Amino acid sequence: MSNTEAPFRISIPDDELESLKQKLALTRFPDELEDAGRDYGAPLADIQRLTNHWKDTYLSKWREHEAKLNEDFPQFTRDIEVDGFGTLNIHYVHKKSTVVDAVPLLFVHGWPGSFLEARKILPLLVEDSPEHPSFHVVVVSLPGYGFSEAPKKKGFGVPQYAEIGHKLMLALGYNEYVTQGGDWGSLITRKIAQVYGPKHSKAWHTNTPIGEAPHPTRRPWLLLSYLLFTLSPKEKAGLERTKWFQEKGIGYFKEQSTQPQTLGYSLADSPVGLLGWIYEKLVNWTDEYPWTDDEVLTWISIYWFSRAGPAASVRIYYEVSNQSPEGFARNIETPIPVGHSYFPKELAVLPRSWIKASNPTLVFESEHEGGGHFAAHERPEGLVSDLRKMFGKGGPAFGVVPGKTGYV
Amino acid sequence: MSDAETPFSIAVPDDQLELLKQKLELTRFPDELEDAGRDYGAPLADIQRLTKYWKDVHLPKWREHEAKLNEELPQFTRDIEVDGFGTLNIHYVHQKSTVVDAVPLLFVHGWPGSFVEVRKILPLLVEASPDHPSFHVVAIGLPSYGFSQGPSKKGFKCEQYAEVSNKLMLSLGYNEYVTQGGDWGALITKRIAQLYGPKHSKAWHTNMPLAGPPQLTQSPLLFLSHHLFKYSPKERAGIDRTNWFEEKGSGYFKEQSTQPQTLGYSLADSPVGLLGWIYEKLVNWTDEYPWTEDEVLTWVSIYWFSRAGPAASIRIYYEILQGSLQGVSQNMATPIPLGHSYFPKEIAIHPRRWLKAANPTLIFESEHESGGHFAAYERPEALVGDLRKMFGRGGPAFGVVPGKTGF
Repeated sequence: MSNTEAPFRISIPDDELESLKQKLALTRFPDELEDAGRDYGAPLADIQRLTNHWKDTYLSKWREHEAKLNEDFPQFTRDIEVDGFGTLNIHYVHKKSTVVDAVPLLFVHGWPGSFLEARKILPLLVEDSPEHPSFHVVVVSLPGYGFSEAPKKKGFGVPQYAEIGHKLMLALGYNEYVTQGGDWGSLITRKIAQVYGPKHSKAWHTNTPIGEAPHPTRRPWLLLSYLLFTLSPKEKAGLERTKWFQEKGIGYFKEQSTQPQTLGYSLADSPVGLLGWIYEKLVNWTDEYPWTDDEVLTWISIYWFSRAGPAASVRIYYEVSNQSPEGFARNIETPIPVGHSYFPKELAVLPRSWIKASNPTLVFESEHEGGGHFAAHERPEGLVSDLRKMFGKGGPAFGVVPGKTGYV
Repeated sequence: MSDAETPFSIAVPDDQLELLKQKLELTRFPDELEDAGRDYGAPLADIQRLTKYWKDVHLPKWREHEAKLNEELPQFTRDIEVDGFGTLNIHYVHQKSTVVDAVPLLFVHGWPGSFVEVRKILPLLVEASPDHPSFHVVAIGLPSYGFSQGPSKKGFKCEQYAEVSNKLMLSLGYNEYVTQGGDWGALITKRIAQLYGPKHSKAWHTNMPLAGPPQLTQSPLLFLSHHLFKYSPKERAGIDRTNWFEEKGSGYFKEQSTQPQTLGYSLADSPVGLLGWIYEKLVNWTDEYPWTEDEVLTWVSIYWFSRAGPAASIRIYYEILQGSLQGVSQNMATPIPLGHSYFPKEIAIHPRRWLKAANPTLIFESEHESGGHFAAYERPEALVGDLRKMFGRGGPAFGVVPGKTGF
């Protein structure tokens, strides 16, 4: 395979900074109902404060933020061919541990995430210590996200994203590896497990675990047990959370999975529109995470300045929904060991029995008292600790990549 | 009641025109997948063409479009008090027929409509003729739409929209009247019928007839027939259309009824975002209506230049439906006569027997071979033809407003 790897540094052209500056200066805000709180969507006071900070401070310091990103993330691009879609130029982070036999780990983000989500866990994962395993870390920017090219044709679904992730690992010399993913990253790494495991993918871990709900004909005994035995208070709270998301938090999903191009005009053209659309999730999906304005704006900027533009990032919802009209909670089983981390403010918090019934190869579980959907960003120590337990000496997935145990 | 009516002319301030111009010039377009067609949303080629035209032609000629609207639509504003919400300044169109005893008719629009939807039917409705009834027409600009003020408090629901509408008719001296409405106008005129009929509202007509699927406990025979007897090909097509809307066409609904403020930032700030959001519906909800650029852009401009801003217009979804389409088809019965017009490309099309079962006061039905959701705009002659039949001599609602037969 020819090596098209090239080092990459984020370097937004001046004219893009200027265009953003001009747009921000022309921002027209809506009004807001009295006492709306967060009930109607992202609060106006927050969006106005963030927009002013963006316009007056953050954007003028963009080169500093950019430099810090380039410092924290060793980045590259390379061409990867996807069956039926041609070659896509893929952006990724690649950081090796000093531990030669570190465990190769592929981290896959979701929406509205990006490679940025690995920022805090990266140094912890590669860190060398006799107490815990180390990892060689690859953070892929999914096609259509960050600085990766987007597909031009229709039909780019989970199998294609999985193909990208897998081929990237092979291209980097990691014939055998493990994965960690949440949100779309969970569906994609699950697919990697199904298609490329156990030959290449040896184990996978997710912080957004799911299970199929009890069903009178498909899972009759589970339905029966669900009806007979009460759920724990935590499980009840989890179902309330899940219900909230399905009833109140899913509008973006419905639009993105049916009319992504329509929404795309707003996300591409309006910085404050993009900010509002994403910020609402950063707040509602996390466990009271104390976002700084800079954190939020860096997160949004990755979308605003993305190679394919923000509209491309939402097409995954349409493609996958069309390919899986029966929903995503099917075909969950994988032929390789899987580990789960449970965070209370995740969006689908299901009873443990449902999850276990759908994941027969579950070898590791870890429950957390705090944390939400963006686990790597909100609870980096918690997530990394789970991976260290799962893959470390004495852990259920220790040595799952032959010869790469993660220790010196 | 004090007469606080003020004549109104649309006169968008220069600085708003200038801001729009600057924004249009800075437009950043997304890309599009190959062969996307209309499957993924409003097509890029259409939006680019419309945006360019907006910037280069429509906006520079805005004062002409404005003048034409003011010429065609005699407009006013007046203050109307709404219990618990204070006073709202309401914008409306009011045109009387030369026929003194014309039937007073309130026309209520929906989203993404506006008072502009009355543009084509207005001259037809007021027209005097021995062959058909005439109407005095009031087209209300709903609170938060067009040039009407919006509520500043939470909880402005169907009852409040109905209250504003009824009070408007009363303040204009129309103690008894009839109504015509589609989209939100259908739900609001239904509520008017329930709250103010038969004392004030005497009959109502809708081009978006509603009914829920038969429930076993409420209509056992209908429920059985639903499962046993076939639907006609037309009814099947209607069911397919309804399913398409729920599965593919209701993303906007889900967002607007759960997180309207979040969406509002885009609609308020981005002209092309607003254009895309509305244009998709103008195309998908109509029956191949040959929209001109000027038509589309005038329609969208009413939202862009609206008094309350485009973000306010979508809160009605949150306040009334709270995330679920189920509320649309509940609580249908009204105490006054009802007329239906059926257009094949409406977005919710129910089998005729469901409609009859849900609407016991249904006295007029008219089926059309073409036309969609924005009936007053797409099929003005057809819609007015139906109203003339329903309210005219020999019609089932003739003389429903005592002393105002329309002749």
